[in-house]
Amino acid sequence: MTALLRIMALWRPRFGWLAAGVIVSLAALGAGVALMVQSGALVAGVLLGAGMAAPALALRVLGPARVVLRYLERLTTHDALFRALADLRVWFFRGLSARAAGGLGFRRAGDVLARLVGDVEALDGLYLRTLVPLAGAVVLLPALLLLIGRSDPWLAAEVGVLFAAAAFVLPWLAGRAALAAGGRLAAAQSGLRVAALDTLTGLREVRAYGAEGRMMALVQAREAALLSAQHELAGRGALAGAAAFLCGQAAVLAVLLAAGSHPGTAAMLAFLTVAAFEAVAGLPRAGALAGHAATAAARVVEAAEGPVPVPEPAAPAAPPKGSSLKFEAVRFRWQPDRALVLDGLTLDIPQGARVAVLGPSGAGKSTLAALALKVAAPQEGRVLLGGTDIATLAAADVRGRIAWLSQATHLFDDTIRANLLLGRPDAAEPDLWAALESARVAEVVRALPEGLDTYVGEAGGRFSGGQGRRLALARALLSTAPVLILDEPCAGLDAETERDFFTTLNTAAEGRTILLIAHRLTGAERLDRIWRLSAGRAVAAAG
Amino acid sequence: MDDSPGKDSKRASRDWLRAQSRLGRRAAMPVVALGLGGTLLAIGQAWCVAAALQAAIAGHAPPLALLALFALLAVLRAGLGVLSERAGFDAGAAARRRLRSDALGRMLAAGPALLRRSHSGELTAVLVDRIEALDGLFARWLPAATLAMAGPALVALAVLPADPAGAGLLLATGLLVPVAMALSGLGAAAASRRQFAAMARLQARFLDRIRGIATIVLAGRAEDEARALGRAADELRRRTMRVLRVAFLSSAALDCAAALALVLLALRYGAGLASGALGHPARALFVLLLVPEFFAPLRAFAAAYQERMQAAVAAEALGALPPAVPEQPPQAVRTVAARGVSVAFEDVRLTWDPARGPALDGLSFRVPAGEVLVLAGPSGAGKSSAMEVLLGFVRPDSGRVTINGADIATLVPQALARLIAWIGQRPVLFAGSIRDNIRFARPEATEDEVAEAARFARLDGVAALLPQGLDTKVGEGGHGLSGGQAQRVAIARAFLKNAPILLMDEPTAHLDPLTEAEVLESLKRLTVGRTVILASHSAAAHAFGGRRLDIRDGRVAPARGVA
Repeated sequence: MTALLRIMALWRPRFGWLAAGVIVSLAALGAGVALMVQSGALVAGVLLGAGMAAPALALRVLGPARVVLRYLERLTTHDALFRALADLRVWFFRGLSARAAGGLGFRRAGDVLARLVGDVEALDGLYLRTLVPLAGAVVLLPALLLLIGRSDPWLAAEVGVLFAAAAFVLPWLAGRAALAAGGRLAAAQSGLRVAALDTLTGLREVRAYGAEGRMMALVQAREAALLSAQHELAGRGALAGAAAFLCGQAAVLAVLLAAGSHPGTAAMLAFLTVAAFEAVAGLPRAGALAGHAATAAARVVEAAEGPVPVPEPAAPAAPPKGSSLKFEAVRFRWQPDRALVLDGLTLDIPQGARVAVLGPSGAGKSTLAALALKVAAPQEGRVLLGGTDIATLAAADVRGRIAWLSQATHLFDDTIRANLLLGRPDAAEPDLWAALESARVAEVVRALPEGLDTYVGEAGGRFSGGQGRRLALARALLSTAPVLILDEPCAGLDAETERDFFTTLNTAAEGRTILLIAHRLTGAERLDRIWRLSAGRAVAAAG
Repeated sequence: MDDSPGKDSKRASRDWLRAQSRLGRRAAMPVVALGLGGTLLAIGQAWCVAAALQAAIAGHAPPLALLALFALLAVLRAGLGVLSERAGFDAGAAARRRLRSDALGRMLAAGPALLRRSHSGELTAVLVDRIEALDGLFARWLPAATLAMAGPALVALAVLPADPAGAGLLLATGLLVPVAMALSGLGAAAASRRQFAAMARLQARFLDRIRGIATIVLAGRAEDEARALGRAADELRRRTMRVLRVAFLSSAALDCAAALALVLLALRYGAGLASGALGHPARALFVLLLVPEFFAPLRAFAAAYQERMQAAVAAEALGALPPAVPEQPPQAVRTVAARGVSVAFEDVRLTWDPARGPALDGLSFRVPAGEVLVLAGPSGAGKSSAMEVLLGFVRPDSGRVTINGADIATLVPQALARLIAWIGQRPVLFAGSIRDNIRFARPEATEDEVAEAARFARLDGVAALLPQGLDTKVGEGGHGLSGGQAQRVAIARAFLKNAPILLMDEPTAHLDPLTEAEVLESLKRLTVGRTVILASHSAAAHAFGGRRLDIRDGRVAPARGVA
């Protein structure tokens, strides 16, 4: 709930627009209710001999007003929604970029990130489907009490209670139920996803072991679990909707029961009640949605506003001139309850040197990159860039001097040009070609009909794995950073492509300080020094 | 150039949607019937209210029987509402179940060859998200489309005896809706489609930027990207609002028709009652109360339009799946002697992609029973393709692959799978315990057999260091195993399976030298007594001895000697 409030607080700068949307929507609602009321009043008025001039005039005004106001309502609420949606995304991106670059993004948790994006999307409906109708209900309740109370206070109280039940109590209950069931639903959903992903990534294993039938049965079983969780939620939603409907019907019944005692307003009140309850009929469902949104909001707020892993120094030191990289007696663990990854590691990479650090997976090789890039901070010891402790430097200054290339380096679903410019936004066209040339991928790009303006596809999908990695290398080479960290840059590529890549690298990054992190060498690399990571320390290896 | 396949896929998705809609409409019948039942009850209620109000206006208390009937109808209507939602859910669930089994069946039938064209992540998105997105089509859109015609017609029919002219007026205003929709746009649909596409683009961009957030941050571009994201969202808002201004005209047409009907009818009854031409005020109230009821199905129809847009996107993805393979003609199942199996390739040709030339170009060789053959050659020479042909992942374009002289094309896939154990470069571990992952090779294996396989692959040593031993969860959301440990699971699988043929495709390509040596030792013991084909270009292949066959460009290279 606090997370939902936090999300709404984000929208404060848009308050004017959001309020305008609510106000126009209220006006449209008012016109709609008045239209029904006046139709009833017209017929009743004629019957009672009160004449029809006044209601008839009102109808002629209300009819068009209702249409115009509804149109305006749709426009203003959607405009406000889109503004709020943009704010939410930018806020989330900013928050996450200050935090998760270290955890989620750096350590390849693409699916976790995708799930978070789904959570952000779940918040989109909050304003339009929950806040606007809720505001309508808040205004309608006193209006109902006032209008009915004038002729029958007791009846007003009855209708008021029923209205409050339908508009506030039932949605709240539905929201609470959704909050509880949301966890089960999410578990069932991820169960199905895991089974599907397992089956499809394992298609070779499945065929080789003749497991088609078993995997089909597994996916079907997970699907059945999901359907049953959804069935339960849908059933509850239907019950909440039915209960809200019955509240409205009970209110109409109350009006009819009391109708005999005030014939003049009976028809008007009946029409009013029908219209008022219709306006809030969707709220129980919106309540259930808000329940989902609340769980999503909690995850989103946690990701975007959790603690910053490496706080910036209060007064950053001046960026150093040199580009040597030095680890001094570094001790590090990712989490307090995890084992030490680095235990007194000391490693000296002189300016312009080409150094490899080898070790089996899990030995903490990628941690070196994380520490050098200020994605994480060592618990003990120091990391020095050009002789300056990076803890005293601004993260932007450190990252401006170290380019990073790993298997997690992302190619954006954009043009080749846009992907390259990420490395150096002010690079001129010849610079781009020079970088492509150095990465030996210029031929490929030149052969494309659209050249630099070719879209690379999702995660670089239009290119082969080796070409994609070369494009990422070109981007790293384009940056003016004097240090280049290559963290298993060829993971997932076949051995031949890997050798070609390193051969290219030998000449491409001339003059830069290079730290290559790998589980083994292909023999093609030209290196000055080779270290092996063992028990959290660097040990000189033959090289 | 990009245009014609786009059109093709659009037509394919349209045809697919049409076929699915036919199926779905039948499943939607209960929802439609319940919806119409609800409308009937609403008509009854309107009559009760009108009659009660007439009594009240005349100065009497409304008869209690009438109010009791109203209450009864209300309860029934609430019940029908619940049932109708359940029925809608069931229709959607049944459709999703059918589509998912069908899609997965097609993916499984296409087999590993599918992974050459699409990423498993995309396929999973189709199987999970796209099919979930189709729920609205079956649960809401199809019933709403039928009810949008039948519902108003039923209400008009009920109004007919009370006031024929009123019924006519309702129908006339009701017909305004589709006419205005058509006028305001070929518009409305196209606009809505464009808005949907723009939203989808923004969401894709956002997801893409979040996935690559580490790259952006480490390139020092976070603030620029945040601003660009804001600009893109703002641009989307501007463009979308331009489109929506037109699109909302069709909703306005619906509002306009509803308001027009109400105002015209009210004025008509006002005048009629005042002049005494209309005898029964109850009829006037009855018709007025039914105006919202008349337009409700049309509103539901408009609201469900979004579902159709979503379905169109999903349809395109499903249409792109490989076609269902017709059941193979039942062939005589060949059995192959279990002991001493020989393998032969006879002039096998295979082309994955004509643009890149043949992968296998007349490959022929023979491996006698119990011998080891090392396929050597640079990457792209056809080693992996040969493995995939033998595994039945893909059928050769021409030539034969035989096991003990029997063409594998005549074997059912399960029979072939029983003969061959396979260890690839990177085994896939499924979500579950290590034990489950070993047992995957032979689900009916006993505990002792699984434990023996684990011991053989030296997994017992690995397991001893893990929190729950062999029951430690691995795979998604579980403990990560290193490459060497994962390869040991694959060895345990192959041991448990105990097939006469063992295929190994660069099994140590991704291991560091120390681990490689250990894994090779286990692999070597696994080859004993089996017919083995090993694809490798590393020196590690020497460890197995055996005959060496050099492959270049999809065929056997001129002999340079025997390793």
